[in-house]
Amino acid sequence: MIKHRYLLGILLTILVIGNISAQKADISPERKQAIDSLALEKVRDLSKYISIIGNKKTPFSEAQRVMDRAEELFAPDAEMGVSSLNRKEINYYKVRKYFERLMALNYDKVTISWYDIHYISDLERQPDGRYVGVVTIYQRFEGTSDDGMKYKDTTKKDITIYVERKKTQISGRTVEFWDVMLGDIRVSETSA
Amino acid sequence: MRSRIPVILSLVFLFCYPSYAQLLDKEDESKLYAETKQVNQFFRRFNGEEDEKGERYYPRDKQYRSEKLRRKYIGMLFDDGNAGIKSDLKVQFAKEVLDKTKPVILDFHGGNWFSEVHTTFTMNGKSEPVTLFMELEKDHEGTKWVISRVYASMFDPYFKRDTTKVGKFLHPLSHELDFMNLRKAFNYTDSISQFTVKRFRPDHLSLFLYEIKKGNLKFKTVEEVKFHFFQVNNWYFELSEFNRPGYNSGWLISNLVRVNNESERNLLRKFLYYEGK
Repeated sequence: MIKHRYLLGILLTILVIGNISAQKADISPERKQAIDSLALEKVRDLSKYISIIGNKKTPFSEAQRVMDRAEELFAPDAEMGVSSLNRKEINYYKVRKYFERLMALNYDKVTISWYDIHYISDLERQPDGRYVGVVTIYQRFEGTSDDGMKYKDTTKKDITIYVERKKTQISGRTVEFWDVMLGDIRVSETSA
Repeated sequence: MRSRIPVILSLVFLFCYPSYAQLLDKEDESKLYAETKQVNQFFRRFNGEEDEKGERYYPRDKQYRSEKLRRKYIGMLFDDGNAGIKSDLKVQFAKEVLDKTKPVILDFHGGNWFSEVHTTFTMNGKSEPVTLFMELEKDHEGTKWVISRVYASMFDPYFKRDTTKVGKFLHPLSHELDFMNLRKAFNYTDSISQFTVKRFRPDHLSLFLYEIKKGNLKFKTVEEVKFHFFQVNNWYFELSEFNRPGYNSGWLISNLVRVNNESERNLLRKFLYYEGK
């Protein structure tokens, strides 16, 4: 399902952008908006997956399956860098490890919700020709244990996105399109 | 038919879980909008290149870099908690930046700005602070952040020397003896720096690379990041992140100094690079 949706997203991006093979490497405002939509779609999927993985009602096997899907959103070697208000030091986790820790949190009820707010940076070109950007979103976490103890926090998530031109065959014709992969994520507790 | 079952199941599955854009406290949300969330947003707000919700303006848009918009944003981009930045200084700065004939626009690729990154490394197992100075450099098809300098207080003792006293030296006719007295000079490791030229400035970056390659120095974590801007003529400002409640948060100007001439500018740079220490 998810793969179908991405394919649809990619096709939409192709339609919006048109045939880009003859165009320059610069990203026009229209193209940037199309890429932003694709990036946001992936970020929203990630948010959804995090909510499912963190939910105590999610069966173990289902959580494992969702973790697999979530991992597919990321470029290889992506890491989560986590800090809190009390501890400036950043702890680094591989994406899978971060999900596993989220699933194993010692609460009886966990609610993860998201602020309806995001910020998308400009795209900058890196030496290998790929573009890189950062999408910022905010998450509210609430964990409750059976004895009534509650823990709440709000975290800011700065998510790296890599944007790359790829090629695919559609009806025997080679078409280029822009693809988006997620990269490192900086997770910081916010006091806002 | 078979292939439709997983699709239907996935749809049921997705709708059973909380939706993405679940609305939370409106007041909290407005604070998050106000926060300067990325350095990129600082640039865009300073230049007047986005609306209140962070949607980008492009050159074709009427509001793009408009003086009115920039005036509104620039006032919000200072750390209100810093009484050290006098309001008349801010007014003067804004006046020069928003000058109708020659407005100042910050340029991400324009140079004259760099980052100061406070990190912790372990040196032979012991935690040590290391400050990295980073700048953007063009490379192949794009740009990248590179380390331009390093300052690590753990290296300081190796270069200490008292130039006020007549210390140890190699006498001026040492050359006639094929510098045979070097043997004595190098016997005392504590005083070795007394035999270097006065203009010698230790280069911590070289030592830093050497110790890493030798396996003695290992990266642990990043503690703090800030930025120094010299892009506005006759001004220097520092950009820091303020993670705090309220509407004045995120990446804000934490220091503002008028720099009257090149010599003041160089002095300030030296201070920032810990060169006077």
